[in-house]
This record gives sequence, C-alpha cells and structure tokens, in this order.
Amino acid sequence: MLPFLLRRVGVMILTALTLSFVVFCLTNLAPNLEKLARTEGSVRMSDDAVLSWIENNGHGGSMVMRYGQWLGVAPGWVRTDDKGVTRGRCIQGAVTAESAPRFCGILQGDWGTSTVFREPVIKTVSEKLSSTAWLMLWVMLVMVPVSLIIGVLSGMREGSRTDRVLSTFAIATTATPEYVSGVILVVIFASATTGISPILAEWGWISGRTLFLGTATSAIDKITFWNFALPVMTIALYGIGYIARMTRASMTEVMTQQYIRTARLKGVAFHQVILKHALRNALIAPFTVIMLQFPWLLNGVVIVETLFNYKGFGWTLVQAAGNNDIQLLLACSVVAVFVVLVTQLISDVGYVFLNPRIRLS
Amino acid sequence: MTDKTEMLHPAATTLASEVRAGKLSRREFLSRATALGLTAPAAYALLGLEAPAQAQEAKTGGILRVGMEVKAQKDPRTADWPHIANVYRGWLEYLVQYNPDGSFEGRLLESWEANEDATQYTLKVRPGVTWNNGEAFTADDVVRMFTRWTDGSVDGNAMASRFMGLVDEGTKSLRDGAVVKVDDMTVQLVMSVSDVAVIANLADYPAAVLHSSYVDGSDPSANPIGTGPYLPREVAVGQRAILARNADHTWWGGTVPLDEIHYIDFGTDPAAMVALAGSDEIDCNYETNGEFIDVLDGLGWNKLEAVTASTIVMRMNSANGDLYKDKAIRQAIQKAVDPAVVLELGYNGLGTTAENHHACPVHPEYAEIPKQTIDPAGLKPALEAAGMLDTEFELISLDDGWEAASTDAVAAQLRDAGANIKRTVMPGSTFWNDWQKYPFSSTTWNHRPLAVQNMSLAYTSTGSWNETGMANAEFDAAMTQALSLADADARREVMVTLQTILQDEGYIIQPFWRSLYRHARDGVNIDMHPSFEHHHYKWSLA
Repeated sequence: MLPFLLRRVGVMILTALTLSFVVFCLTNLAPNLEKLARTEGSVRMSDDAVLSWIENNGHGGSMVMRYGQWLGVAPGWVRTDDKGVTRGRCIQGAVTAESAPRFCGILQGDWGTSTVFREPVIKTVSEKLSSTAWLMLWVMLVMVPVSLIIGVLSGMREGSRTDRVLSTFAIATTATPEYVSGVILVVIFASATTGISPILAEWGWISGRTLFLGTATSAIDKITFWNFALPVMTIALYGIGYIARMTRASMTEVMTQQYIRTARLKGVAFHQVILKHALRNALIAPFTVIMLQFPWLLNGVVIVETLFNYKGFGWTLVQAAGNNDIQLLLACSVVAVFVVLVTQLISDVGYVFLNPRIRLS
Repeated sequence: MTDKTEMLHPAATTLASEVRAGKLSRREFLSRATALGLTAPAAYALLGLEAPAQAQEAKTGGILRVGMEVKAQKDPRTADWPHIANVYRGWLEYLVQYNPDGSFEGRLLESWEANEDATQYTLKVRPGVTWNNGEAFTADDVVRMFTRWTDGSVDGNAMASRFMGLVDEGTKSLRDGAVVKVDDMTVQLVMSVSDVAVIANLADYPAAVLHSSYVDGSDPSANPIGTGPYLPREVAVGQRAILARNADHTWWGGTVPLDEIHYIDFGTDPAAMVALAGSDEIDCNYETNGEFIDVLDGLGWNKLEAVTASTIVMRMNSANGDLYKDKAIRQAIQKAVDPAVVLELGYNGLGTTAENHHACPVHPEYAEIPKQTIDPAGLKPALEAAGMLDTEFELISLDDGWEAASTDAVAAQLRDAGANIKRTVMPGSTFWNDWQKYPFSSTTWNHRPLAVQNMSLAYTSTGSWNETGMANAEFDAAMTQALSLADADARREVMVTLQTILQDEGYIIQPFWRSLYRHARDGVNIDMHPSFEHHHYKWSLA
C-alpha cells in the first residue's frame, strides 16, 4: 500500500510541474503579455509603453528563469525605475525592498498575486474552491442517489416498461449538454416572461415574478433552494443519466449471474435478492464512475458557473484565462491536478474494499 | 441684476439673446454658458427661467442594487472605463461636473472664469469642503492635481494630453508658472495656447480629485481618503462593489439619500440582465442595448434616456493598411454606406443618423455642412480604377451585440456595392490586443461635451487616440485655431473646415449617434448620463 501511495504522490508532483510549466509557457507568450500590459496599464498605451511595462513588471528575461521564480528556486525579480521606486516579485504590501526575501515562490508558500482580483492567489483560489465545493456537494447529494435508484430500478428487470421509461430519461439527460439544459431550465422556471413563472404569478402562487432565480450569484452569500436549484439540477441532470446508464449495465449483468438465479430458486424474496445479493456487486463499476465525476465536475462547472454567474472555481478559471492572469492560472492548474489525482487515488483504494479480488500492488 | 450681468462673461449675454431669438437651443446654451463660467442657476436665470429644483425632497435611506461590471480599481488618471470611475465616485469628487442637460456644474470648484481667448482661467475653490480625514480642501490640492494630471511620464495617463497649454514640452510635466495659487481659495491657469476644453476635461471621469496621501498607481479604494459622501466597504473585482454612507464625515453637500449602493457584477450578457430584472435581483442596470430595451420595457421597468454624441466609427487606417492609402478608395467605401440603414439594422433606429464627420448637432459648435450623397454605384468603378476589384477587404469588430450588428450592416452594404468584404468578429479577449492597428475596424466613441474634443484626440496627426493614420496639415492647423476660440459661434466657422476635411478624407464611416438607455424598476430615482457617470448623491429610493 505505502509504495503505491508514494508512487501516486510522485506522479502527482511530476504532473503538476509539467502542467504548470505548459500553462506558464502559454500565458507568457509575447501577445499574451502585451494583452496583460494593456489591461493592467491602459488600453490606449503606446507600443513602447507596453514594452516598458512588460520589462518593469518582471515579465522580461528568460522564461525558464521566470518559471523558476514562480517555483521559488530562482531569486525573485527586483527593479528600480527612473523615479527611484524599487519594486519586485517579493516586494508587496508591508514588505519593503530591504526586508524582502530573495526567493518567494510556491516552495516558500507564496502563490503570488492575482492581477484580475488584486488579492493573493491563495485567497482567491481557496475562497472560490470552497464555493465550488458547495455546488459539488449539492450536485453529488442529488445526483448519486437519484442515478443509483434509476440505474438499479431499470437494471433489475431488463426490458421491462420501467426499464424503457427510465432508460429513455437517462439517455435524454446525458445527451443534453449543460449549456442546453441550463438555458432550457432558465426559460421554463426562471423567466418573468416565458415558461411557468408568469402563469404561477398570475394565479398568485408565487409572490415574486419568477419561480426560481436565473442566477446563482446570491448563493455565494447564502445558499437557498431558490437560487441553487437550477445550477445544481443542470449539472446533476447530465451526470444522472450517465451514472444511471452505468449502474443499469452493471446491474443487468449481475442479474444474469448464477448466484442470483440460485437465490431466486431458493425462494428468497425479490427485494431481498436485489438488496442483499445484487447491489454490492453491481455498485463496483458505478463507484469508479462517480469518483471520476469529481475532476469532471471541477471543469464541467466552468459552463454552469458562467451561465448562472456563480462565482466559484470554474468562473474564476474563465476570468483568469480571459485576462491572462498568470499566477492565478498556474494555481488553478495545480489545484486541478491535485483534485484529479487525489480522487483517482481514493477511487483506487475504495475499489479494493468493494472488490476483494483486486490488490493495489 | 444689471451689476451681475456686467460681471458675466461678455459672450454669455449674447448667447442668451440668441436663445430668445430661437437661434440656439436651450441645451446648447447651457453647455456653452456654463463652460464660460456661469453657474447653472445663473444660466437659467439669463433665460428668465427657474433652475430645475432637485425633485421634491428625496427620502433618506435604502440600498440600491445596480447591475454593473466591477472592474479593478486603477489610479484615476489611468482609468480607462467609466465603470472604474463609478465606484471611486463614491468617495472621490470632481472639480467640475457635466450634467445630463449639457451644463457644467462646479463641485469642488465654486466657480470659474475664462478670459476672452481662453488662455487664462481663474478657478475659485468651494469653501467648506473637507476631506474625510478632517483636513480642509484648498487651492493647494487643486495645484497638486494639475501636477499629477500633466505628468506625461506615467504609462497610460489619460489626462496628460488634455492640458497641452499647461505642459512643458521638454519635461512632459507641468510648466513652471502654468498653475498659480493666488490665495487659499483661488487658482489661476496660465496657458501657452488657448484651450476651450479645460472645463470639460476637468469633468471627465479620469479627473477625480485625490488626497495628498495617495500613492501613485495604487488602488484608490485601499486608502479611501476623499471628499465624497460614501466609503467603499468592499471592492471585489468581477463580483461586487459596495459603497456605504460615511457616517464619520460631514459632506459639504449635506446628507446623501441612499445608505448604500451595491454594484453587482453579472457579466456582460444583456440576457442575464433581463433575467435579473425579472427575478428582482437588481433595481437598475448600467446600460440597456438594442432589442433588450423593448424587453425591459415589457417587464414594466422605467426607461431612462440620454441624448448623446456617443457613436460607432468604422475607420480605415492608412498607416497600417496599404489598401486604404488611396483617398479615392476611402471615399468610395464611405459613400457606399447609407447611414440610415446602419442605424436601423445595427441599433434598431434608436438614435439619429450622422454625417461621417464626428460632430454632432448636440455639440455647441456643430456646423451644418452640405449633405453627402450616398453613392453605392460609385464603389465598383472606383475599385476597378485602382485595380482592387478582387482585393479582399477585412472589416473587424468586437463580437458584442449592436457593435457587431452595425458593422455587419456596413459590410453587407459594401458587399452589395461590389466590394469583396471579409467580416471578422473577435471576442473582447483578442480584439483589444491590437485594436489600434487593425486596417479596417469599428471603434465605439463615448460622448464628449465638445466636438473639438473627440476630433482633436482622434484625427489630428499628433492626436493620442488617432487610429486612422490621418495626417492632414490643414486639418491640424484648423484644429489649433478652433481650440483657441472660446466662443462657440466663432468656432463654428472653423468647424465647417474641420468637418468638411474629415468627411472628405474618407477615413471614417460614422453612421449614427446613439441615444443611451438604462432601466430602473418603479420607485428608483436615478438618471441616465450621456457619459455613463453615476452621480450618487442625486439618487434615491421612493
């Protein structure tokens, strides 16, 4: 077990390094730096001013050295401009030029400052990640039970009417991308002019003008059923169909096994057969799929968070990419690597407990 | 009254008689007379009218939620979006304010006077104004601000190019003796060239007045010392900005009605704004565009309109585009586009057609020149003559609603006229990278109070925002002359030359003037400003 874990951690660090270097290279391409200069300085800056801005803000010099600065293995840049003001990577806030450390990269625990949000990257990322965690939590709470129930119900009697109906639902939801289902949900439930809200308002069943809120911005401060239902449903619907299909396939396979037939012939009640004999074996495959949902959710939320204006990790990623916020993008990619590999680790370990035939090493 | 009248700028009384004779609109009069140093009530009085009183005593209290993009705060002189200024307007104020009715109102200045040829201005500081740290606001602060504004060494200083008469060309900073403190309450501007736009420039959004403790280039909300009635409680970029009434500060203007103003960022999608209005998550928005005007009207929200000289310009660039070096080609392209069609297709007809010379009838010095003839049939022969019949012309625009639609309308007309047009739309993230260099693309221009302001910025050979590559010596000379004429009537004579040259050069297709709109729910007392300025102290909730 231990060698396995160590190997996994090693892979994780290597992946994070590689990915962050790739992201670093892409964000540091000359046109991207120019764009950064124009948004940070002024849109109307002359080309000379842009070049001097890039040079004066530590984006000059070799790319490898700058990546080293971010890592904390190369000394941070320091510049004194013609007015005698010294600025540098490690000089910010209360830290003066004299007291500034030589190195300040992620090895020293300094993730840098976000140029979009004007605050430490670590603060932005942790805040947004926790917002997204709430979203993911609710999605999981809705998605996992619903999809397992649908999958088990349709898988236990393959070809029955229940199976057909539930399968159609599952295929339809999983075939609809979030940007379609999200818009449809908003039109039906959260528009003052279309869908069911105007009708309900006319009947006096709802006090406001819409049944649900079309944006989840207010959920950052306080999650309510009204502002969170639509984004959660949008993400969950897609996953529900997918996991339900997996569960169904796995369930139907289990139901054809000899030991199920034996149990049935012994005269065990059908629900007992399902709960005691079939379910545990049928859940192995869906478990992996559910664990795979975490990395997918982290990136899948990009669309939903943008659509519903929920300011979480996905939305932050869009802002960071749109504004070429180098430090923030790097942190986001490291976080993404971390989440993907940790959930896969949990999935692999969990597998062992569900299926005694599998050994980790 | 007679005594007072004698103290007025000589031109003001003449202007007033022109209004009475019907030669001048009231709006133009207000704009010009206040620029000459009259207070708005005095200007109204000259017309024999009462100044419109602030609507009946506004109710104090309440929180107003405004849907607006919250951008990162910047050193005000480098601010490049009105959104940025609308946040720092909470605690920073201006020397002069441009009102939606076209008049200039002294804020931190009590009054000002210009001499005959607009080379000297005397600024009177408003007494009784204090900073929110208790210090008094004096003439020293005004002098210090001019030093900041004229500093040309700061990357992206938007104010630097606006006070040419005060700047020392060599050092690119304030000329010695240009801004003189006469006494604690008086400042004298001594300019090397005449400039009619000084007062208008003082009212523009980068001209916010900062405290002496402000660190150049820092975030103004970090240490919000200002003279204004609010304080920033939170500025979270891309999310929200909250202004709350500063309880520890006695604002010179009295008590502001609203307790708090919340700017909430819901992105740029206008459809989202409609959803927000529908679900009561905002009380008013920043701007309503195109088809969404009808939609929000339909929701029962109140439409607020500002008549403006805001516009879109599809400009050719001869400095970067070889295709557009030939004036005949530029003219043929310009004349192939019918402005009325662009207005209809691009902006739902919510404005008035323009004449390809970037001077608007709402500008005081606008001159009427003979109408251009639209001639789509002339494009093909012109292209043929230049051997460019098969040349591909690329027309670039932002992928944003009406900007894209208007540019599409131009492209379609050029295509119909026989040109080979390639239309490119770019998202904001790529468009702004090189936008000043595109050979043929559309740019939006905000409203400015005087026509010479935009024209001198954009079309003189030295203009800092010149993105056409136009360099016409005659135009430059006429502009220098126009900028020395404080009297708008005198300036109008020169405007004939300026407008004619600009139109004739063919660099720009400037199809229409936009009216600007925003919406608010019932019970919200706000206004729409032609330059998107938010005058918080005028706002209240019923």
